[in-house]
Amino acid sequence: MDLALTQSQEMLLAAARGMVEREYSKENLLLLESGDTDLAETLWQKTAAAGWPGILVPTKYGGEGGSLTDAAVLLQELGRAPAPGTFFSTAVLGVLALMEGGSEEQRDAVLPKIAFGENRIALAATESRYGWSKSLTLTRATASHGGYLLHGVKLFVQDAANADLLLCTARMGDGEVGLFLVDASLPGVSVRPLPGFVSDTFEIKLNNVEVPQASLMPGGRDALEQAILQSLPVLGAYQVGACERVFDMTLDYANTRIQFGLPIGRFQRVQDHVIQIVNLKDAARWTTYEALWKLDESKPDAATAVHVSAAVASEAYYQSCNAAHEVHAGLGIMREYGLTLHTRMSRTLYHYLGDPTHHKVRLAAELGL
Amino acid sequence: MNFELTSTPEQETFRAEVRSWLDEHAPPDMEHPADPGQLTPGGYKKQRQLGRALGKKGWLYPTYPSEYGGGGLSAEEALIIEQELDRHGFTLPPYYDSGGKLGAASIMVWGTEEQKAAFLPPIFRGEVRTWQLLTEPEAGSDLANVQTTAHREGDEYIINGQKIYVGSTHGAEMSWMLVNTHPGGPRHQNLSWFMVPMDSPGVTWAPMDLLFAGNERGAASGHKQTVYFENVRLPAFNLIGGENNGWRVAATHLELEHGLMQTSLRGDSLWERVVRLYKEDKSGGTPLMDCPDAPNLLADMYIDSQIGRLFHLRNYWLQSTGRPVTYHGPQAYLHVKRSALRTAKALHRLFGPYALTTDQEVGLEDGHVEVQQRGSIVAQHPGGTVEIQKVIMARRLGIGRGEPQKSGRLK
Repeated sequence: MDLALTQSQEMLLAAARGMVEREYSKENLLLLESGDTDLAETLWQKTAAAGWPGILVPTKYGGEGGSLTDAAVLLQELGRAPAPGTFFSTAVLGVLALMEGGSEEQRDAVLPKIAFGENRIALAATESRYGWSKSLTLTRATASHGGYLLHGVKLFVQDAANADLLLCTARMGDGEVGLFLVDASLPGVSVRPLPGFVSDTFEIKLNNVEVPQASLMPGGRDALEQAILQSLPVLGAYQVGACERVFDMTLDYANTRIQFGLPIGRFQRVQDHVIQIVNLKDAARWTTYEALWKLDESKPDAATAVHVSAAVASEAYYQSCNAAHEVHAGLGIMREYGLTLHTRMSRTLYHYLGDPTHHKVRLAAELGL
Repeated sequence: MNFELTSTPEQETFRAEVRSWLDEHAPPDMEHPADPGQLTPGGYKKQRQLGRALGKKGWLYPTYPSEYGGGGLSAEEALIIEQELDRHGFTLPPYYDSGGKLGAASIMVWGTEEQKAAFLPPIFRGEVRTWQLLTEPEAGSDLANVQTTAHREGDEYIINGQKIYVGSTHGAEMSWMLVNTHPGGPRHQNLSWFMVPMDSPGVTWAPMDLLFAGNERGAASGHKQTVYFENVRLPAFNLIGGENNGWRVAATHLELEHGLMQTSLRGDSLWERVVRLYKEDKSGGTPLMDCPDAPNLLADMYIDSQIGRLFHLRNYWLQSTGRPVTYHGPQAYLHVKRSALRTAKALHRLFGPYALTTDQEVGLEDGHVEVQQRGSIVAQHPGGTVEIQKVIMARRLGIGRGEPQKSGRLK
């Protein structure tokens, strides 16, 4: 047993922390939140220049060939910011979907571009009846001219703003759900950001989009399921990093905010909130890293651990933000303070790739209950 | 990272040795009552026999130095012994011996060479079973408020007072206790820590009438006692760590009691029982209880048990690799306490009134489900209430203080 990161993971973590603090500063994130697309582009290019998008891309496609735990270390640091989800959608979910379900041609064409930061991917799976099981797919793929016509509305798609490619689910003629790799610039694709208490969430309309036969991914919806399973604890690591940052902010505030002549952290009612965050973040950390280890080692019960960690990490981030707001009171809701960056992200990530209830249903199934 | 408790080939050889030895020395007819209060004197005698046999091999307190009767073994080897005993439904020691598990650590840190040589070998060899005497009517969460006094007369101390929530069913040969040696003195500098032979004249005890006495599977206490001290004379030699230094001596064992005990790495036998019940129930055709929420309740219970397992695994790793352990013990303990109540409610919802009866015909799993209903409530206070665990966590994290508080000395 060894619960420490490896030396190279520690080095990666230190480098990532430095870069995230510099580039994904609170000031920059507030600008991104206000819709500064030029800045989003600049930051993506810097991330790409660091070689990070290739972390999971196998070396034969020009990537690092890292383990899921390696990727998680990066994501944990991005979560501290909290940096936008483009990196996860592209370099984790996108890469894993291509590895699990893509044709050799698709991998050859796309993986090197991802590794060099030239392609970004968004997963367009969910629709009007929101959820993560394949029975909910209504978008149709109709055979036409040796290819397909895709028609439907994808709803609550994450990170579509600068995506070049869409991983798109659609119901085939035989009733099965297929998976397509779709060029986002094709005629008939329209992307609309959704306003409100969301992070980088979009509606994508597919209006009889004509795609070639080669855009169909041979692995299909089952491959996407596998890719999501592997991605979940990497996203969990992002939530762990985010919880750690929320904890740091809250502890610091509890130690410096004076009321009734004392730092408010001297009051046990306040301490309860801080301790709640510690308990949530530690539960998220260890369930997440165990799931990553089980996936990296191909343990037979890895899926069980993944569903545990996904349920725990999403709940942890959500509740940690709530507890942090209890401690910060008025200051916490001032945008410039930065806590609401996390609160907003914690809400979006709560349902993304399945909310805790979804994962508990899956967990019960894995346990044969 | 690697979350597996792996063994070297040498350790696997050791495991085989322990396993075959236990198969020979742990009689198959040993008692495992769901409520440890039901342990018969004969069953208790067998536990002590096994303890003495383990003690002879140095396997009863495996990590302590062999010069004092311990095994001089590594934490990994100790864990192997724990795991193998677990297969027989026992912990190490196979009877309640909080005195040895906790008190011995304080004696190792604070005792003189003569004191270690006198007190530790009988405990480690299993000849002596030891109770801890801490709580009093006016000293629960505020342990430093103990009112039992000891005053010195020549080479002796004379003890008067009363301790509650002590020990187990079938008596003990020794105890250790925290008493006040400086009434009116400054708080935390007025206490002393003593070893007490339980056959000293003036020591008497009587069982308390409780909902349940606490369950540590295989080593549960059964009953709790009130222990009275009336002019009990103790040699000054039995004072450990010096007069009025008792709070620091106690900090050592309190540190261990607050969630740093390896026995927590055992498997979750209750979970296995519940899943078996639930699955039999589903396939048997007649559900015990109409509970549409069952898979969700079981998923929550499973998640709680996984978090608990991982907290204890982390603590074991931190300790065995010499990394700092601060708020981690109380965090694990807090989780155990809190999740016990959640589990109790889940079982009540899963099995309805079946969960509450020990009836031979309709009760579940020989009373193991019922005993959890009571045990979960009782589990809230030993080793400090939920609130006390949070107080310790807050201090160790430095919430509101800036500077984190230091842990009790373990070496």
